[in-house]
Amino acid sequence: MRAQRGFGILPCLAALVVLAVLLVSVGAVTEYPAQAAGKTLSIIVDSVSDRADEAEIIATYLRAVGVEAEVRVWEWNALKERLLAGERQMYLTDWGSAYFDPFDLVIPKLSTGDRGNYSGYSNRELDELLKQVQMTADQNERKKAYFEAQRIIFQDAPWIFGYALKETEAARAEVTNWQPSMDSRMNLHDVGLTRGDTIVVGMKADKIITLDPAMYRDRSTETVLRNMFDGLVTRTWDGKVVPEIAESWTVPSDNVYVFKIRKDVKFHNGETLDADDVVFTFERILEEGAIAGQSSPRKGLLGPLDSVEKIDQYTVKFTLANPFPIFPQALVHFQIVPKDYIKKVGDNEFAAKPIGAGPFKFKEGRLDDQIVIERFDGYYGGSQEIPPVSVAPVKRAIFRMMPEATVRVAALKAGEVHIIQQVPPDLARTLSADKNIQVKSVDGTRVYCVEMNCKKPPFDDVRVRQAMNYAVDWNAILTSIYGGNGVRLASAFLPGGFGFDPDLKPYPYNPDKAKALLGEAGYFVK
Amino acid sequence: MTRTQVQVIERILAAVPIMLGVVIFTFLFMRMIPGDPVDIMMGEAGGVTLEEMDFLRAQFDLDKPLPVQLARYLGRLVQGDMGYSIQRARPVKEVILEAVPATIELALFSLLFALIVGIPLGIASARRQNSLVDRVGMTVSFLGISMPAFWLGIIGIIVFSLRLGWLPTSGRITYGMEPAAITGLLTLDAVITGDTQALKDALRHLALPAITLGAGVAAVVARVTRSSMLEALKTDYVLFAKAKGVPEMVVVVRHALRNALIPTVTVVGLQIGTLLGGNMIVETIFGWPGLGRIVVDAIFSRDYPLVQAAVMVYALTFVVINLATDILYTYLNPKMTL
Repeated sequence: MRAQRGFGILPCLAALVVLAVLLVSVGAVTEYPAQAAGKTLSIIVDSVSDRADEAEIIATYLRAVGVEAEVRVWEWNALKERLLAGERQMYLTDWGSAYFDPFDLVIPKLSTGDRGNYSGYSNRELDELLKQVQMTADQNERKKAYFEAQRIIFQDAPWIFGYALKETEAARAEVTNWQPSMDSRMNLHDVGLTRGDTIVVGMKADKIITLDPAMYRDRSTETVLRNMFDGLVTRTWDGKVVPEIAESWTVPSDNVYVFKIRKDVKFHNGETLDADDVVFTFERILEEGAIAGQSSPRKGLLGPLDSVEKIDQYTVKFTLANPFPIFPQALVHFQIVPKDYIKKVGDNEFAAKPIGAGPFKFKEGRLDDQIVIERFDGYYGGSQEIPPVSVAPVKRAIFRMMPEATVRVAALKAGEVHIIQQVPPDLARTLSADKNIQVKSVDGTRVYCVEMNCKKPPFDDVRVRQAMNYAVDWNAILTSIYGGNGVRLASAFLPGGFGFDPDLKPYPYNPDKAKALLGEAGYFVK
Repeated sequence: MTRTQVQVIERILAAVPIMLGVVIFTFLFMRMIPGDPVDIMMGEAGGVTLEEMDFLRAQFDLDKPLPVQLARYLGRLVQGDMGYSIQRARPVKEVILEAVPATIELALFSLLFALIVGIPLGIASARRQNSLVDRVGMTVSFLGISMPAFWLGIIGIIVFSLRLGWLPTSGRITYGMEPAAITGLLTLDAVITGDTQALKDALRHLALPAITLGAGVAAVVARVTRSSMLEALKTDYVLFAKAKGVPEMVVVVRHALRNALIPTVTVVGLQIGTLLGGNMIVETIFGWPGLGRIVVDAIFSRDYPLVQAAVMVYALTFVVINLATDILYTYLNPKMTL
C-alpha cells in the first residue's frame, strides 16, 4: 500500500525557490574544468505524482553535474510493471517495514530476485549474509551480519539512498495519554478524554479492508482491528515487544516458541480465550482456503512457521522450519479470534459481526465510512507493561475515514474529531500554533529512495551509481519539501530498526566528486 | 399498447447488447492496464512466496487464459453473480449495493440545488438581457463552471465549518442520529419515519457536498435556460400572448418556459451522469461513502470484478437516464416521438 501524502502550496513554493537557487548555482560553477569529451549521460527519472516535485528537484541536481535528466510521472502500478520488466532506468520508490527489522525491508528489497527488488541489484556476498541472518537466532551474530550488509549496500549504491519521514499526528488538547506510535497503530485503550466519553479518530485511509483479522495486509485495517482484537504480544509505541494475551514465552530451541496464555482473558461474547483459540487463529491463516473458501493473505508474514500445537489449555507451542528470531515481532500483527464463535456463525458472519478479546467491541459501521466500537467492560486490562492496565477510559470510539488531509485538519480544529493521522508538514506548523491542539511526531518506518536499474547501462557501473548519490542534496530537499521532517539514510536500514549502524554516514552532497566519478566512467560532465 | 409503450420496450431491449458490449470492453481494457491485483493486495511485507501469490491468483481465475476468464465471468454474471472483490474480500454486489444509496442521495440533492438555482437565474437573466442581474448572474455561473470541486469544497469547509461553525466538515450523518434504514437514502428514511432530528442532521451534512457538486451543473443549467429563454421570449406566440394581455408571469412560465426547458432537460439528463460518475473528488473531500471513491480505488488496485460491476452500474444508469430524458421530451413537446 502506498503512502498518501498531501502537499500544500508552501512546499511547492519552497521547491521553486530551491530550483531557482540551483539554476543560479549551475550558472556559477562554470569554472569547473571540462573533462575530456565523453558521451552525455541521458536518463529519465520516473516518479508517481505524489513525489513529482521531488523528482524535478533531483533531475535538476543531476543536470547540474552534466546529466541530461527528464522526469516522467506515472501511475504507480503501471510504472511498477515496467520497472519490474527492467525497462526503466531510475525511479522514485518507497517501502514500508512493519517488523522493526530488516526482514521486511532489506531482504525483499535487495536480495537477488526478491519481490521488492526493483533495482535488479544482485550481490552474492550480500545474499549470503542475508540468508545467514535468517538462519540464526544469535542476535549478536545477526547484528554483525547486518552491519556488514550495510557497508556492502552503501558501497554498491544500488539506490540513491534517500530518507525516512517522521509521521506526524495531532490530537485535541482534551485527549490525554496520547502518543503516536512508530508503526502507526493507534491504541485507544490507553487514551483518555478530559471532556466527553466518545473519542473520534480521523483516519488517513479511504477505507479499511475487512473486519476479519485474517484477511487484510494493510496498516489502516490493523489500526482499527487492533482495538477490537488483542494478540499474544503487542508493541510499545517505540517498537518494543511485550506480552499481551500471553503471560510469558520461552524459546526452548531456536525453532520452538512456547507461549503461556493468561487465564483471565475473555472474548466479547463472554467465552474464555484459551489455547484452542490461539491454535485455531494460526491454523486458519496457514491452511489454504480455510476462510469461507478463501486463503488468508497473511500467511507469508509468519515466516517459516510450520505448526501450532496445544500443550495444555493455556500453553501453545509454535514450531518453525528454521530459526526466525523476529517471530515475536511478527506475532504483534496477529490477532486472536474466537474458535467456537467462528465455527458457529461462519467466516462471513464473523467478518460482519466480529468478536475479539480486545478493549473495545464492535458496535456498527461501514468499512469506507466509519467504524464504531464500544468499551468492553469484561476486558482483562491489556498488556501489564503498558499502563493503564484496566478497561478503556473512554466509552466509545469512532474511526472515520477521512482521506483528505486538509479536511482532517479542519475537522480537528472544529472539534469534530479528536485525533488525526498523517498531518502534512505545512499544516503541522499551523496546527502547532493552536492552543487546543497537540502535535506529535515519531520516526516513520518507511524508506524513500531513488532506485536505479543495476542490470543495464549506465547504472550497471557502480561509479555512476555512486556519482548519483553524491549529486543530490537531500538535506535541501528535506527542508524545502518536507519541512525538515525527515532523517537521511546511509543505506537501506532504518534508524529505529534492528541492526542499524549509526556510524555509517550518508553520502554527502558533493557535486565535484560526482563529476569526477562520472568522468572516470567515461561520461561528459559540466 | 400505444406507440410510445412499444418504443419504450424496444429501447429497453436495445440496451441489452449495449450492456454486453460495456461488460466485455471493461473486462478487456482493465486487463490491458499494467499491474497485478494480487501483488497489490500483498502490499510490501516480506516473506511472500511465489506459491502463495500463484494460489491467490488461481483463486480469482487470474491464471486462466483471457477467453476462459471472460466466459466464466459472463456465465456467472447471467446468474446474477458479480464476483468477489479481490481487494475487499467480499462479494462485489454487497460493496456496490452498500455504496449506491449515498451516491444517489448526493446526486439528487446536487441536482435539486442546480435546478433551484440554475433555472430562476436563467429566467431572470433572460428577462432582463444585459441588465445588471444578467451580468452578475452570468459571471457567477461562469465562476461556477470554472471552479474546480476540490477548491470549492475545501473553501466551503474552511468558511462554513471552521470559521462559522454552521456545517459539519464531512461525513453523512452524526453518529447516533441515523434514521431507521429503509431505502438507504438518509433524508428519505428520515421523512418516512418522521424523524425530524435525523432529517435536519442529514441535510446539514448534505449541504456542502451537494453545493460543491451541484455548482457546475447549476451554472450550465443557468446558461442553457437563459439562451433558450431568450429565444422563446422572441417568438410570435409569446408576442401574441403579451398582446392578448396575458400577465407577464403567466407568459414567462406557461408559454415561454415550457418550450425553453427542452434544451435544459437534455443538458440535465447528461449532467446526471456526471453527478453520479464524476463525484469521486467530492466524495473524497467530504468523506462521503459513495460509489465514486470505490471505483477509483478499485481501478488503482486493479480490483477487476469490482471495476467491471461498477462500470456496468454506471452504464445502466446512463441508459435509463437517456430513456427517461427522451420520455420527458415527448411530454414537453408532444410533436416529438421517441
